[in-house]
Amino acid sequence: MKFQYFFKYIFYFCFILSSNSALSIDNLDYKVKELTLELRCMTCQNQSIYDSNSDFAQDIKILVEDKFKEGLSEKEIKVFLTKRYGEYILFKPYFNIKNLLLWLFPFILLLFSLGFFIKNLKKN
Amino acid sequence: MRKIIKFVPLVLLIVVCVFFLLFIIFEKDPSNPPSALLNKEMPKFSTPSLYNKNIKLSSDNLKKNVNLSVNTNVFTVEDNIEKYTLINFFASWCIPCRAEHKLFFEIKEDFPNVFLLGIAHKDSPADSKKYLIEEGNPYSFVGLDQNGKIALEFGVFGLPETFIINNDGKIIFKHMGLLTKKIIDDEISVLF
Amino acid sequence: MISLIGFSSLCLSAFFSILFLIPNSIFKINIKFFLLFFRFSTILICISFCSLITAYVTSDFSNFNVFQNSHSDKPLIYKISGAWGNHEGSILLWLCMISIYGFVYSLMSKSLYDFKINVLKIQSSIFLIFAFFIIFTSNPFLVNSIEVNEGLGLNPILQDPALAIHPPMLYLGYVGFSLVFSLGIASLLTKNDDKNWIIETKRWSIISWTFLTAGIALGSYWAYYELGWGGWWFWDPVENISLMPWIVGLALVHSLIMIRGEQAIERWIIFLSILCFSLSVLGTFLVRSGILTSVHSFASDASRGLFILLIFFLTTGFGLLVFLVKSPIKKNHLNLLLINKTSALIINNILMVIAMLTILLGTIYPIIIEVLTNTRISVGGPYFNSTVLPVLLPGFLLMSIAPALSWQSNKIKKFRVYVVFFLILSFFAFIHSYFTVFNTWGFLGLILGSWIILASIISIVLRFKLLISLSYIKSINSFIAHIGVGLMILGITFSSIYQKEYNFNISVEEEININDNVLKLENIQVIEKENYQSLKVLFSLRKKGELIDYILPGKNYYPVSKMITTEAGIYHDWLKDIYIILGNEENNTWNIKIYLNPLVSFIWIGVCIMIFSGFIAIFKK
Repeated sequence: MKFQYFFKYIFYFCFILSSNSALSIDNLDYKVKELTLELRCMTCQNQSIYDSNSDFAQDIKILVEDKFKEGLSEKEIKVFLTKRYGEYILFKPYFNIKNLLLWLFPFILLLFSLGFFIKNLKKN
Repeated sequence: MRKIIKFVPLVLLIVVCVFFLLFIIFEKDPSNPPSALLNKEMPKFSTPSLYNKNIKLSSDNLKKNVNLSVNTNVFTVEDNIEKYTLINFFASWCIPCRAEHKLFFEIKEDFPNVFLLGIAHKDSPADSKKYLIEEGNPYSFVGLDQNGKIALEFGVFGLPETFIINNDGKIIFKHMGLLTKKIIDDEISVLF
Repeated sequence: MISLIGFSSLCLSAFFSILFLIPNSIFKINIKFFLLFFRFSTILICISFCSLITAYVTSDFSNFNVFQNSHSDKPLIYKISGAWGNHEGSILLWLCMISIYGFVYSLMSKSLYDFKINVLKIQSSIFLIFAFFIIFTSNPFLVNSIEVNEGLGLNPILQDPALAIHPPMLYLGYVGFSLVFSLGIASLLTKNDDKNWIIETKRWSIISWTFLTAGIALGSYWAYYELGWGGWWFWDPVENISLMPWIVGLALVHSLIMIRGEQAIERWIIFLSILCFSLSVLGTFLVRSGILTSVHSFASDASRGLFILLIFFLTTGFGLLVFLVKSPIKKNHLNLLLINKTSALIINNILMVIAMLTILLGTIYPIIIEVLTNTRISVGGPYFNSTVLPVLLPGFLLMSIAPALSWQSNKIKKFRVYVVFFLILSFFAFIHSYFTVFNTWGFLGLILGSWIILASIISIVLRFKLLISLSYIKSINSFIAHIGVGLMILGITFSSIYQKEYNFNISVEEEININDNVLKLENIQVIEKENYQSLKVLFSLRKKGELIDYILPGKNYYPVSKMITTEAGIYHDWLKDIYIILGNEENNTWNIKIYLNPLVSFIWIGVCIMIFSGFIAIFKK
């Protein structure tokens, strides 16, 4: 039974801390960095726009900065880019119907295994 | 329940292998992603002529029922004839562009109702002009895209790239990289 | 000439493999001689591989493979490693290892003959399929049709010691699992109750897993120090492919260490044995068929892809079928309490399998979507960080106390000791986060990593004996391994979350001040090498006026391919790495990125400890 407290303790901490990191920073450079880390450099082998030094990456970095200055949100910029380059340019796939299986899969598995574990526990 | 679970791994194996098989058979190329803009409306843009900065061609000009202005120095097409535009992004510093350049003369000859729009991407006007003198100019209009914004609108990230627009302004063909005679015969001619 | 020897020995070895597979009833010879066929096949394939290496060492450009991948100016070590730096040579090495593993097993195994022969027969079948693959689609002994004086392969990026051993280490891991696969299937097919196969499976899976760990670590190490991308793990498809068998191998090793005769776990072990090798073959398929792009892609064509797909389908399908049909039906009951050792093992296995399945889905999902909808998506680092890490988190937490759990009850000895130390630790972690950046992942990583280390140390101390003998080390081996993991977690957390990045524009003779470190751009050297131009920018690192070291970031320009590659300049000590990447230059002013990566050394130390622990475990009963 003491383990229940153990685990609860950890999760409460997580809750408290996650609320802290939800603080958004309005700094433009920070916003550009966060977004370009999630964008794929289309002329490179699996590098992000942020990490790449290629011409294409520089163009996109400038474009992202301009769009932020125009007042677009991160989501709107992503939509702008995916309209032209396809969803391929995003390293983190959208959460839409097509990708539902992808995002929910690990959590469905976790639930199933929890069920399996509890069922076997009850037998003993 | 237990019986069904026993068969899951085998079924998954078959499903996964079928997907792989299809991927290989369809000849998908991992370095060439399918275009996001195919069958969508072409982006709005406006480009000045390489030879006269005051003359601008806009995307509207390429649609049906909009006559190309006499000032652009090209022939106009009658309303009831199907109008297609082939847009080719090129540059003088792009070596594969030189390789495919002659093919545009053939396209111009074989398909006279196609408007050939060449866009010089991130190229200085002097270099582009020199390039066209050296290799010849098959284009009906040569536009400038020095800052690369038009290419960005079209989702271009590498040269050369070729699009074909129909008279409703829809992109019906996109090809990244060199055009070859085979591609023209198999994929482009069937469009017209 | 050499190519002829190589090719004929390859074919002969396949022939002897076929001979070995013919049922003993037809041959009617003593079983001892039967084994000779297998061993002869191994000797022949080794001759074949050695002839390839000889061709490379002598720069025999009449061999097409050598022509494409080697050059007479290459240093000897890299000529040799060039043999396995290409598709055909590497798959020949793979084949060679399949046979060698079988050979060593045939000499060392103490099992009954029936079982032994079954294992070797399955190993032979695997050998044969791959041998046909090489002979028909990937022959390294093709003869060059044109007369040449020199070879084509002088890519300096590939001339690196870590990169030279990285493939053989990886293959020792992947191919080792082929023996584990054979052991598992043979145990299903052989009618005996000898439990010796569990001990053998344990030995061989630990060996394979240890090699695989070393192989992956070498690859990451090379990527960090050579590639200049600022990281050591990118969730690149090929990295994921190596991670999957590693994770399942880990689950397998844990299950083998913890088995106490439960038949349910025996069945699970066989399933995992099949799974490990299937994932290895799947990985080979994904890399060599050309359906995924990555830094690792070999040149490929459709026929090769289809052949390996067939190999993958046949081996995995066969394994799963045998498992389905021959698996014992007797249900056995697991001694599962809320938090005893058995349940910890089950949780460990469940979490690892979920992690592996998530990585698998993420890696092949783009393929599925593209076949179905003709659009392309990508699944990159951010996805895996959001899904795999949370799944593994409870596993890490459990890892800290698992070795101290009991089999029978819910209690841990000296539980209060652990609780007290945990509270003290979280207090310190809290303080640390308060004074630096407050970040959920950082806090979690810090507390988990240090807690795993602390709990393992507590357990070791509680078992402390005055005499440190080999058996004592064996008994605390699991704690040692977990300390390695804890160090690795700390290293990963600190070098990613608490990484500091600086951008500067600097010209010659200028200085930068970061904390107490003074970096000064001393000079710029441009050196002409055989086929590339190397530009190196020399930085001096000083602390309190004293020169500590020089850092040399650089760029290489290859005129033939017009490629520019960047090489990171790195200074490393035990507590941090200073990582400099050159950007672009304008008017003699260079734009540079400086990363301060704390505790990167912990990652490599942690991995070394894990490998050491793997070695010890091989000798545990």
